[in-house]
Amino acid sequence: MRIGRGPATVIGSNSRKPGHPPLAQRPAPFARKGEAGSPRVSRGAFFVSGGISRRNRGGFLKKFLPSRLHPAAFAVLAVLTCAAAPAYAQSATHSSPEPPAFREVADELGRTIRIPQQVRRIVSLSPSSTETIYALGLQDRLVGDTDYCDYPADAQKKTKVGGATNPSLEVIASLHPDLVLVTKLNRLETTQSLAELGIPSYATDPHTVADILSSIKTLADVLGAPEAGASVVEDMQRRLDDLQRRLRDLPPKRALFVVWAQPLISTGQHTFLADALRRAGAVSIVNSSQDWPQVNLEEVARLQPDFLVFAESQPGNASREVQKLGTLPGWKIVHAVRDHRYAVISDAVNRPAPRIVSAIEELARQLHPEAFAEKAGDTKKETEKENPPARPLAFAPFSWNPPHSPHGHSSSTGGCLCGR
Amino acid sequence: MRPLTFRKLFFQCFILAVILFFVVILALKFGAVPVSLYALGRDLLRVLLGQSSQISSDYGLIIQNIRFPRIILAVIVGASLSVAGTSFQALLRNPLADPYVLGVSYGAAVAAVLGLVAEPHLALPPALAALFTPLCAFIGAAATITAVYFLGRRQGQIESNTLLLGGVITGYFLSAIIVFLLSTVNSSNTRGMVFWLMGNLSTSFQKSVYWFLAAGFLLATGVIYASANDLNILLSGEKEAMHLGVDVRRVRFVVYVAASLLTGLAVSVSGAIGYVGLIVPHIIRLIFGSDHRTLLPTSALGGAIAMVIADTLARIVVAPNELPVGAVTAVVGAPLFIYLLRRRLA
Repeated sequence: MRIGRGPATVIGSNSRKPGHPPLAQRPAPFARKGEAGSPRVSRGAFFVSGGISRRNRGGFLKKFLPSRLHPAAFAVLAVLTCAAAPAYAQSATHSSPEPPAFREVADELGRTIRIPQQVRRIVSLSPSSTETIYALGLQDRLVGDTDYCDYPADAQKKTKVGGATNPSLEVIASLHPDLVLVTKLNRLETTQSLAELGIPSYATDPHTVADILSSIKTLADVLGAPEAGASVVEDMQRRLDDLQRRLRDLPPKRALFVVWAQPLISTGQHTFLADALRRAGAVSIVNSSQDWPQVNLEEVARLQPDFLVFAESQPGNASREVQKLGTLPGWKIVHAVRDHRYAVISDAVNRPAPRIVSAIEELARQLHPEAFAEKAGDTKKETEKENPPARPLAFAPFSWNPPHSPHGHSSSTGGCLCGR
Repeated sequence: MRPLTFRKLFFQCFILAVILFFVVILALKFGAVPVSLYALGRDLLRVLLGQSSQISSDYGLIIQNIRFPRIILAVIVGASLSVAGTSFQALLRNPLADPYVLGVSYGAAVAAVLGLVAEPHLALPPALAALFTPLCAFIGAAATITAVYFLGRRQGQIESNTLLLGGVITGYFLSAIIVFLLSTVNSSNTRGMVFWLMGNLSTSFQKSVYWFLAAGFLLATGVIYASANDLNILLSGEKEAMHLGVDVRRVRFVVYVAASLLTGLAVSVSGAIGYVGLIVPHIIRLIFGSDHRTLLPTSALGGAIAMVIADTLARIVVAPNELPVGAVTAVVGAPLFIYLLRRRLA
């Protein structure tokens, strides 16, 4: 281990190796020896290795390195030292004179993590966390996010660490974050590797809309912005309460949330999406304990949903999709397809972030226009009346948020790719 | 070679056809939506009597529009894969040959994934948009099989081992491309793409697609069946076949193209469903012998039976949710294959 660290440090600090295989898939034989998950231990190791890299610039080990070191171990070392170099630099330059005070917080997976008193540098590994950070006004502390983080537009300008399922640990480490925000979209291996690198990761895992609110609140507290958190959550709660008041006396519409049409994939009952449907005055006809069940079309034809609900990042996709389905014998017998009864909302509904309330409102307006009828200014948003069999599709533009690239949706599916 | 008695062929096919009939009836009965045998029989009778317009119940509509087309799809796909597998095994004189070993399914999957990515950006009319992905998959399968064919040629001759190895390598290469696409393409379609790799018969198509598939299946199977005798002779060795007056190159080319067409058709509507093309011919051979004049039609029926059963299981095991049918065929197929292998060795 001592021998191994030297040359890898040299190479790692001189050049990044962006193309090497993802760390998470390759177990690091010795990195596990250290107390995995304990930031302090590993962080100590960084300083040591950083020091070595300063002193030991010679390439004397290069010639026998390939024969001694397993490639995986080599890759790990390269990453370790990538983390080490900036870690060292930072500790040398702008760390405060007194040693940084740490505190322990519990995340939503029940893990206890140690983070600095002041979280100054955040990396977000999911679009929802990125949106939450912007909503809390903490965007200046966000030093990196994923390729899928497309909202707000400014988030696209942040340093990209890769996708949610396959982020580059090197880039994350080189950003020297105080905290990495992870969700179900990310793989467990990513958080484990981060722990081995001494980078604390904070996981959020909301299962209901109420969870999302409390999750944002707690995250705001952890990040040291309790006031911003309280005001964001208060606003969300106020709008949800308003919605609940409007929809109180209306029977819920029976809806099918279409994640994917052929094969048909919908959302299970334990997801915040199902809860979002409930908040919008709809009830999902799919009653599955799986999060992303493939649903039998027969069952849909039997249950005959009032509405199909699509979440789209690009306007127009859903209307094309429904027209396409309308040409197929199996789908034609679903009345909602035949009668073009469908609601389209922003894909913000897939993201457990403050914007989900807007998506819920959009859906409620389309499913229950009568509940919003008294507001003259909002009539534009009403797209669907109930049961208008032969009425041509009136597709009103719903409130699109600023320029969308077609990334958002896949972020919600990414997590399942690895699950399957 | 023993003369083929028409009675024997008829007898074997009849048994399998009866089994297939009952399997289809059971497949029609079982599903996410419960249907009584009585209601089913009444509706079937009405269809036979040409009174299908009288079927108005929701259940009848579901069976007519969802379950029945799906079973037909299973029959055609199963039969196509099985005939293709039989042909490749005879052609390459290798018991391991099957459409998937030759990398065809991956070629189809790559093209399908590309099609799924491109489709939202092309303003296609709805009817064509529904067909776009299967079309892409078919083109991908055809391109792959052509590439593998040229990989397997040596001095103008097809060489079995080279062809098989070429197919295997092409398959690995293409599956790596799929993984690459899945991890880089930022599209809302990733979930659908994954299903191309697992096999899936739940896709609904326009009626014309079923007719097209059936016609393609009959045409290609007919072409292969015309060479059934030559395939029998080919089993005893290439030189022997040549000396006996078989135009080996022509037979190879024709059967290869026809079997590839079958594979491409099957894959383009169902994704990668493994094991059917590999195992069904082996089982049929064990039962009915390896005369291709009976083997081809019986393995077509056997493949249809196997696929309908597998798809019915995929529909009902976790109903009202579904399993990918490729997972069912693999779970049942792999142990079965090992059993057959050990039995042959013993």
